[in-house]
Amino acid sequence: MAAFEPVLLARVGKPDSPSLATYQRDGGYAALKKALAMSPDDVITVVKDSGLRGRGGAGFPTGVKWTFLPKGHPGPIYLAINADESEPGTFNNRILMEDDPHQILEGIAISCHAIKSNTAYIYLRYEYGKSYRALDKAIQECYAAGILGNNVMGSGFKLDVYLHRGAAAYICGEETGLIESLEGKRAWPRIKPPFPAIEGLFRKPTIVNNIETMACVTHILNRGAAWFKSIGVPADPNNPRDAGSYGPKLYCLSGHINKPGCYELPLGITARQLIEEYGGGVPGGRSVKAVVPGGISMGFLSASELDTPLDFNGPGKVGCLGLGTAAVIVIDDATSMVDVLYNCCRFFSHESCGQCTPCREGTAWMTKILHRIRSGQGQIRDLDLLLEVANSMGIIPGTTICGLSDGAAWPVKNAIKKFRPEFEEYIQSKRSTITPAELVSAH
Amino acid sequence: MPTVFINDKPVEIGAHERLNCIQAAQRADVEIPSYCWHPALSVVASCRMCLVEVGDKKPDGSVAMQPKLFPGCQTPVKDGTVVITNSQKVKDAQKATLEYLLLNHPLDCPVCDQAGECYLQDYSYKYGRGYSRLQEPKTLKPDKDYIGDQITLFTDRCIMCTRCVRFTREISGTGELQVINRGSVEEIDIFPGEPCNNKLAGNVVDLCPVGALCSKDFLYKQRVWWLKSKPSVCPDCSTGCSITVDQNNDELFRLKPRFNPQAQGHFMCDDGRFGWKYIHSDRRLKSPVARKDGLVTANTWEQILPAVRSAVERAVGTTPARFAAVISPWSTVEEAYLLSNWLKRQSEQVTLAMGPVRIVGEDDHYPKTVTGAPPSQVKFTIRAEKAPNRRGVEMVLRHFQGACLGFDEIAKKLANGELDGLYVMNADPRATFDDAFVANCAKLKLLVVEDLLSSPLTERAQYVLAGGAWAEKDGTFVNHNGLAQPIVRALRGPGDARPDGRILWELSGGTGLFRAAMIRQQIANEIHSFAPLILGDLGDYGVSLNSAAAAVVEKQLQPV
Amino acid sequence: MPALTETMRERIKSLFARYPSKQAVTLPALHMVQDEFRCVSLEAVKEIAELLELHPAEVHDTMSFYGFFRDEQHRLGQHRVWVCRSLSCALRGGEKLLAHLCEKYHVQPGDTTDDGKVTLEFAECLGACEGAPCLLVDDHCEMNVSTERAESILSKL
Repeated sequence: MAAFEPVLLARVGKPDSPSLATYQRDGGYAALKKALAMSPDDVITVVKDSGLRGRGGAGFPTGVKWTFLPKGHPGPIYLAINADESEPGTFNNRILMEDDPHQILEGIAISCHAIKSNTAYIYLRYEYGKSYRALDKAIQECYAAGILGNNVMGSGFKLDVYLHRGAAAYICGEETGLIESLEGKRAWPRIKPPFPAIEGLFRKPTIVNNIETMACVTHILNRGAAWFKSIGVPADPNNPRDAGSYGPKLYCLSGHINKPGCYELPLGITARQLIEEYGGGVPGGRSVKAVVPGGISMGFLSASELDTPLDFNGPGKVGCLGLGTAAVIVIDDATSMVDVLYNCCRFFSHESCGQCTPCREGTAWMTKILHRIRSGQGQIRDLDLLLEVANSMGIIPGTTICGLSDGAAWPVKNAIKKFRPEFEEYIQSKRSTITPAELVSAH
Repeated sequence: MPTVFINDKPVEIGAHERLNCIQAAQRADVEIPSYCWHPALSVVASCRMCLVEVGDKKPDGSVAMQPKLFPGCQTPVKDGTVVITNSQKVKDAQKATLEYLLLNHPLDCPVCDQAGECYLQDYSYKYGRGYSRLQEPKTLKPDKDYIGDQITLFTDRCIMCTRCVRFTREISGTGELQVINRGSVEEIDIFPGEPCNNKLAGNVVDLCPVGALCSKDFLYKQRVWWLKSKPSVCPDCSTGCSITVDQNNDELFRLKPRFNPQAQGHFMCDDGRFGWKYIHSDRRLKSPVARKDGLVTANTWEQILPAVRSAVERAVGTTPARFAAVISPWSTVEEAYLLSNWLKRQSEQVTLAMGPVRIVGEDDHYPKTVTGAPPSQVKFTIRAEKAPNRRGVEMVLRHFQGACLGFDEIAKKLANGELDGLYVMNADPRATFDDAFVANCAKLKLLVVEDLLSSPLTERAQYVLAGGAWAEKDGTFVNHNGLAQPIVRALRGPGDARPDGRILWELSGGTGLFRAAMIRQQIANEIHSFAPLILGDLGDYGVSLNSAAAAVVEKQLQPV
Repeated sequence: MPALTETMRERIKSLFARYPSKQAVTLPALHMVQDEFRCVSLEAVKEIAELLELHPAEVHDTMSFYGFFRDEQHRLGQHRVWVCRSLSCALRGGEKLLAHLCEKYHVQPGDTTDDGKVTLEFAECLGACEGAPCLLVDDHCEMNVSTERAESILSKL
């Protein structure tokens, strides 16, 4: 297939790519200059017209989200950038921050102008030390060059951008969990309504956007909404609820793959293409057993579902939760899905914030059941119990406050439905595949 | 009027009322079970017990239901809202929630204080699955008896509703309680070394829906199904919190606050909650006493009541201007009236005065703030005036003699030798009559003391009438804000002690039983400022006596 | 003997201007203290609370949520080494790596070596999945870490 000329990753790998000097030499901050000459509402229109959908996992149309802010609000309005990137398998934000931070800052500045915000907080997961140093340096360069501060590029617009480091909790990636954490409290997501656009950070209107989304904004202003919309999968004209899958996407590829890495491709590439044409296939001559399509919250594609297009609609059609973060993890045929599922459940029970009953108790229970199965003491009816527990939790049925439980439930649902014979065989064999290694890291 | 439909049953709500689904369902006598929601605390919707189906009934009669469940506590109702609480979806969610809550819950019912008034028991019985499918070991958590001087925590019983934490942050403002850790290993705890000892601490035990937070005072003392409860009013300050008195076999076990939007709201302070131990003190007077020259000459009511009556009548008949009565601000309106009426009927020249009114510190407002600044919205006040009925007694005294004299004036009269006879009715268990006053009583020819605890003053009296504590009486207290509330006889006093109302009724010549409601109506007829009490029954929340309310009642009583 | 140094207090106060609420400085303050003292003592929590106009229980509540902060009984060693155990790393030997290091240095995950140099922990996805298995050594991520390379990294600490 025709090679896609990277846009988001264009400068990654070039010498001194994080610096302001090279960024400006490569044409950086022209988009911001353009945006500052437009009215905020016109900038919102451009972003809306581009069809950009948030890259953080929920895929909500970004421009539309910006219009949810109350009109004529006296302010302050805040922009919170979600750099918490903790979904297992995901590392695209890290690469952008480490190697091209100015691309992000430019997008942040454009967005703040559009939503009339004078203060942006980048909530950055603590483990990303190199990203912190790169962003910190880039922000200081911007202040020194008058790109941030009281008079952004001489336009009179005032903007402060602050870095705020987290403390290793996955739930801080949930937008209201992020807000609570930034406010200095335990990261218990808030009940909605009110939504952050109405009442967010410090109870003021707040937009929460992902790092990759911010980078896209820069290029949309540079090259135009039409350019962005020319990439990807158009919306189905017969379905008014389909917002399409436009623009380039950073796909993270990891697991049992020869060439793991971050690949920038138009939205809509299939899992098979990603694995075979870009990832170099599965090591050791093995074959694919299962693929995580977008971070483990999204569940699994079976080997027969590899031609699923990885856009906002594709994974849902084969029973996955969605595209998520487009973090693709390849699992080979020598790996037990029971072990894989245990790893996923253990993650969610460790990360559950504990606020609401089904998630707090359900994620821990599912992990305990899987541990028992893996100890050789499982029963077939445990599989139906796991499905029942998984089906009872989530914002989709309305039983929890946030989507962590949907993410916890989906791998269970997919694994047991799509790989049931494997699970039943494991149980009936009464074997245990708990390694001494795992006992060491048992939670 | 906006109409809400609860399971097809229409319920009208007020045009300006803002109710959630739980409150709307209560109007239809339908229960939506809930744990974390409380009308006095912020809404967190975290327990997920109150999940219901909601929808809208359109003007054309069609109903559009939302596809997913919603917590009833965070969903407001408006005209046309449909709430379904009994569909299969709702029932399945309730069963699931309860199974989750019971998953790691210890089987402590046989040893848990909460049994019999436990929301986990009750909801499991009504809405639960009836069995657990957990086969793995339960998560264990250590007990913590250091949570507070009055509070102990059985951590593994906790269902993480966080009512207790929200209480200490939003109501008491003292912020001692916190959640530690994350996920299924979360626990309630204090900051090490800073226990929950604020003056409202005991409320977290009431708020806890299960037996996690327990009162050390009540722990293991009594099963709640043996307790008999009566509604009453706490006497310890002029806030007049509405409470419930729980007793068995005339032993008082605990007090709990009772919701009263006109009095204090939902809570009570620890001073009142735990301050009743004197009721079973061995200093309680268990029988009347008559003394002559320091020796006890009689100790039965049959002998003493007629003796007191004739002694007082003789003293008042001889030198009425040198006879005085002191009425405690802890006495009820009825008791103040009976004593005043009896004496003033005999002679207008008798002096009536208020007993000692204890003022301790200043009014204590909550929630507290970290900086010490006063609260922007006061949610609870412990008042400095440590008496439940100063206003009521004062209103009675003003009626009978135009002015209300303070205790100091009587003490002065006594010291100056201006008194021959003195009737002291004391009901305040913490009132002290100083040595000088007691010594000056030697100047009296007649000293009658009606009290509940023995003291140097009672030792001095010729006649001691063994009175009742507030929990042993029927009567009326009027709080700082003019709210008249009934107190109810919940238990019998020790030995031959009698409620003061009965003593005074019989002393003043009344026949048959003392009935507070009847006296109340008499007072309402006679004393203008008590007119709103005319019905005798003061309802659950009491009746306001302040001028606005009085004017309304007066209008209603005008002859047509 | 106050727990926070004067420099720390100044740095904490200098952050107030960034946020409309002092409580937002909780995480930065906790990080500052732990970076310096390798743990956050109860006294430090009290002083942070006082500076931020919060109850000590509120600061402690936040601190205990994250599992990142250690109290005095569980202080960190000089260096903190995290080994990722999430799916991408587990598929490429992450858990075996952790077990091997624990055995070699005679610690359980979360513990510190006897010489006080290294605290070894498991981490959830460190976001370095293209270089699985990976380590986070203090503030630097090491990718494609074989057993030998891990031992070499730790021995240099």
